[in-house]
Amino acid sequence: MAVLDVRDVVKRFGTVTAVDGVSFGVGAGEVVGLLGPNGAGKTTTLHMVLGLVTPDRGEVRLFGEPLSAGRSALLGRVNFAAGYVSLPGVLTVEENLGVFARLYGIGDVDARVDRLVAELDLEALRRRPVRVLSSGQQTRVQLAKALINDPELLVLDEPTASLDPDVGDRVRELLLRLARDSGRAMLITSHNMVEIERMCDRIHFMASGRIVATGSAAELAERYGVEDLEAVFLRVARD
Amino acid sequence: MSPLPLASEASRQRTLAVVLRDLFALRHSVVRVFEMLYWPLVELLIWGYVSIYLQASKVPAVVAALLGGVLLWQVLARSQGEVSIAFMEDIWSRNLLNVFASPLTTGEYLAGMIGFGFAKLVAATALMGALAFAFYGFGLFSLGPALVPFLFLLLVMGWALGIFAVAVIVRFGHSAEIIAWALAFAFQPFAAVFYPVAILPGPMRAVAAFVPASHVFEGMRAVLAGRGVDGRDLAVAAVLDLLYLAGAVWFFGRMLVAARRSGGLARFAE
Repeated sequence: MAVLDVRDVVKRFGTVTAVDGVSFGVGAGEVVGLLGPNGAGKTTTLHMVLGLVTPDRGEVRLFGEPLSAGRSALLGRVNFAAGYVSLPGVLTVEENLGVFARLYGIGDVDARVDRLVAELDLEALRRRPVRVLSSGQQTRVQLAKALINDPELLVLDEPTASLDPDVGDRVRELLLRLARDSGRAMLITSHNMVEIERMCDRIHFMASGRIVATGSAAELAERYGVEDLEAVFLRVARD
Repeated sequence: MSPLPLASEASRQRTLAVVLRDLFALRHSVVRVFEMLYWPLVELLIWGYVSIYLQASKVPAVVAALLGGVLLWQVLARSQGEVSIAFMEDIWSRNLLNVFASPLTTGEYLAGMIGFGFAKLVAATALMGALAFAFYGFGLFSLGPALVPFLFLLLVMGWALGIFAVAVIVRFGHSAEIIAWALAFAFQPFAAVFYPVAILPGPMRAVAAFVPASHVFEGMRAVLAGRGVDGRDLAVAAVLDLLYLAGAVWFFGRMLVAARRSGGLARFAE
């Protein structure tokens, strides 16, 4: 059974068609990337998966069920992190994680928070307010929040955006470890081709709201007759 | 988020999470504690001394009515503000998408915000009541047992207005935030806080009849004038409160659906 099944979704904002008949799936343990230039419809697609935006047409199914039919229960098995959201800055790291553990119905909140703090190397930061942390540290806290319910589907929208190369690389290593070790399904967007190439089993290129190419990084490079994913990106973006 | 009853343990945990988030935020912020007490205190001082001035002018019956009006109006205005501002803090901290992409239901979210707002309000009102007694010798409990339903009826109207304000912000975004500060005051002329409904012109009296607070303040004046509690006033206010609250929750649900359709909800992250 697919963890995520996106079926022919369309989303229009006024006269602009942001997503135009997109279909794809994510299987258990699979890491799928959405790539494309700005305005391609990636974030809108992710927001439809998370129930933040309602499709005008088509359907999002999580774990075989329509999202619209069992929203609370289904979203309890998913989580997400994005470069453009944060956690309440006045709360400490452990307070934020405790709040989200309860939001996701975790039984032993303290044990779960302790485990994630250890896993994501946040011990020294756990009693510090999130607002005083560096952007790299905040990204790690966001990822801890995204793992709080041990999600069967982890949605990441440009998780390393706005990070400097060093911090970005550390976060990328962490994401790679998550992708390799956990066996959980992941859906990720990024403008970092190396990140996508290393993490994803399958990549969907989007342009003007549509999926224009699908395959592994190697398959896509071969199909477009170029060396790497970055070159594929440039070809797709400029076509 | 779909409106579900607060039945299961998971549901209670999620509601508690909303309360805890606001409690932690308050605990870490001197500014928030200060803000919680500042406006009620300023109003109490101003109106207290206005009342003393009026008392010196031999109009004592007005004194208690004005002070009672000030204190009880704070309950309504603050309860509306607490609900609206709790929501806006999620916007300001760019946390809103985390919340709306979680399993939290509409009912749990609203219940958590109302629950915490209620606790803050009890603390602030108790302090204001103590200060009113210390400075002016006005005991909130001089209103007798009627105080409890009065307070509760004003609280519920405040919650309803707060939920309505949040719904408007959900639908129309940042540009509508002013409603969080202004909505309760739009009702103030019709609520007859500082004067009897009878002095209003006919059309305004007709509107006032549909404002729960006007029945509460009429009741308060009746008690202070020694006429006792008018059960009919309380009953009408309670029915109107229920209609306001049910209408506000329904409106919030509709606006949330509309914001998901228009993409307005996701734009809060921008």
